[in-house]
Amino acid sequence: MWKRIVTHDELIERIDALGRERRLIGPVAREAPGCHPPLRYFYEHVTRAAQLSLDFDYCVYGPKAFVLPPRETLFRFDRSAGTFVATPIMDAQPTALVGAHPCDLHGLRLLDAVFQNDRPDEQYRARRSALFVVGIDCARPCDARATCADWGTNRVVGGCDVMLYADPRNCGNNRRNAQYAVEFCSEAGRTWLGDAGRADDDAVAVSAGYHARKDAAFTRRLSASVEQLPALVRASYDSHIWEKHAARCYSCGSCNLVCPTCYCFDIQDDCDFNGAGGSRQREWDACMLPDFAVVAGGHNFRLLAAQRLRHRVMRKAAWIQQRTGLSACVGCGRCDRACTASISLIDMLNEAAQEAGNAHR
Amino acid sequence: MIDDLDVRCPIPDRGAAPILPVPVEGVQAPRPRIGIFSLTSCEGCSLTILEQEDELLSLLGAIDIVDFREAKSGADGEVDIAFVDGAVSSPHDVARVRQIRKNARILVAIGACACLGGVNTLKHAQSEHDYRQFVYGDRAPQFPTGDARPLSAVVRVDYELPGCPMVGAEFLRFVRCVLSGRPFRLPNDAVCVECKRRGTLCLYEKGETCLGPVTRGGCAAICPAYGARCEGCRGLLGNEQLRIFARNCLQLHGTPLAEILDRLRLFGVFQGETLPDSQPPDGPPT
Ligand code: SF4
Ligand code: SF4
Ligand code: SF4
Ligand code: SF4
Repeated sequence: MWKRIVTHDELIERIDALGRERRLIGPVAREAPGCHPPLRYFYEHVTRAAQLSLDFDYCVYGPKAFVLPPRETLFRFDRSAGTFVATPIMDAQPTALVGAHPCDLHGLRLLDAVFQNDRPDEQYRARRSALFVVGIDCARPCDARATCADWGTNRVVGGCDVMLYADPRNCGNNRRNAQYAVEFCSEAGRTWLGDAGRADDDAVAVSAGYHARKDAAFTRRLSASVEQLPALVRASYDSHIWEKHAARCYSCGSCNLVCPTCYCFDIQDDCDFNGAGGSRQREWDACMLPDFAVVAGGHNFRLLAAQRLRHRVMRKAAWIQQRTGLSACVGCGRCDRACTASISLIDMLNEAAQEAGNAHR
Repeated sequence: MIDDLDVRCPIPDRGAAPILPVPVEGVQAPRPRIGIFSLTSCEGCSLTILEQEDELLSLLGAIDIVDFREAKSGADGEVDIAFVDGAVSSPHDVARVRQIRKNARILVAIGACACLGGVNTLKHAQSEHDYRQFVYGDRAPQFPTGDARPLSAVVRVDYELPGCPMVGAEFLRFVRCVLSGRPFRLPNDAVCVECKRRGTLCLYEKGETCLGPVTRGGCAAICPAYGARCEGCRGLLGNEQLRIFARNCLQLHGTPLAEILDRLRLFGVFQGETLPDSQPPDGPPT
């Protein structure tokens, strides 16, 4: 990897240049009165780089919506001329996502594995190839619920064009003095920022020591290693922990919907009033919702909340990993934060691991 | 005073949609005759239909509105679909909704009042004598009103389009389903689903106990989007959810049961003094 150092001002200037060619998306601070702290960040559309808050803690929602929108029209159909004509709707304007944290970049990699390789999806591919991604490293844990350090998802291994590291030597209260170490992950990334700033041969910001210090700062931990976890969770399939936690669960689906790697969707057709045309829509679905597993004939093969909860945890900790080789949990902590019933994925995993581990002994 | 039927609100969204004549290209197909009626209500739900400005013309091109007090006058004739807003709260309402039922192939309850009783049920906190005295004073005997009940307590209801007011987009979707002969179902998901799809910051982050997790979605989570917690106007998803909610609120937030039940009284969502017994869905043990 080819490294450079750029100053904050230079970076802002370059992001603005990017914004002249592409729609700009990045972390924006929003006041959240009554919340602690009274500020929350969201990935949003901005028109100027100065509107971005690159030193954000976490974004409430991941960047999933920009590659897999919550609702989209896949095609319109028309049969007014006597034949059936379907016109696909492709909404893939050139976009730059600037300021994605490592967990969210890992989330994007998983979506890529699903929609680009496993089940090629035209709409996803079109949007993804029109997306330029600038990652930014989080120098400290974003939130007490984050477990990315244990999932190995707080280090970037692709999924972006450029990766930025705020240089801790020059970070401080005065952001204008901030400097960023830059790593390039694609040719497009080099074209964008390759001639900015100066070459950085010592690359102090991204030294091994930097990552080790960062990893150690996380307080929420997985009790088993990611290598052991899939087998331990599988071994807990018949455990009572699912019923225990599901007793509090509303089956509201929030935990799925905020997850940067949950990719399930539902497809529905809608007809126009005159009956001659209509459209096919898809929207985010969630395996915790009561009707998720209803099949033709009305049978629901995951009728109980406990079955759905177990299914979700198995997907996150074992099954998707088996299928894609990537972890389906990137440790962002969003599901735990979103659950209004205080059901924690990490608690369930730790309990499952402990139970299975004990049984093993 | 009025028949003493169970106040209960089934959501008959599981059955197959009755098929109405589908407009066929080239032929001037019969357009379904629609009546829009109001019982005890503010008629805001009927007005919601007129507010669908962008789609009103295509709507009017596909259906024939034969009776609609908010927009035109007409005679009580037979209709293919009767949309009825308002609660049943007087002998006059009872007679009227029975007549509407008789004349309609499909009867659709629209809005919280028709589906649940709605805000009209707030008067149930007082005795019938007291609220009638309060409203009509000396002339109470001339105005025979009673408890506010959903349509389903008096007549068979084919569909319910809940909400206070009903959701315009859902009404239009219902009409499109009927026109194209496709089944119509209410979403069986919590309001939270739509908060998530919209990217709203959850009100629980401020420590507010929003009713969204236990309320039927389909309203685009409009209240949380404007910073107000959901008050459940579209009705509960189920008794099991309510029981879990009450238990979680007590354990996680220290909210007493009475407070939860009081909040559910706003739209008549739940009017009991104690939690309902619930039957968890049958299924194989996990
Ligand atoms: S399962 Fe939870 S912690 Fe893991 S990636 Fe999804 S939202 Fe984040
Ligand atoms: S967010 Fe919590 S209550 Fe809702 S489905 Fe997930 S685990 Fe259940
Ligand atoms: S604000 Fe209410 S409806 Fe929205 S996600 Fe939170 S609990 Fe659910
Ligand atoms: S958020 Fe709740 S109160 Fe508001 S419209 Fe929706 S169901 Fe009704």
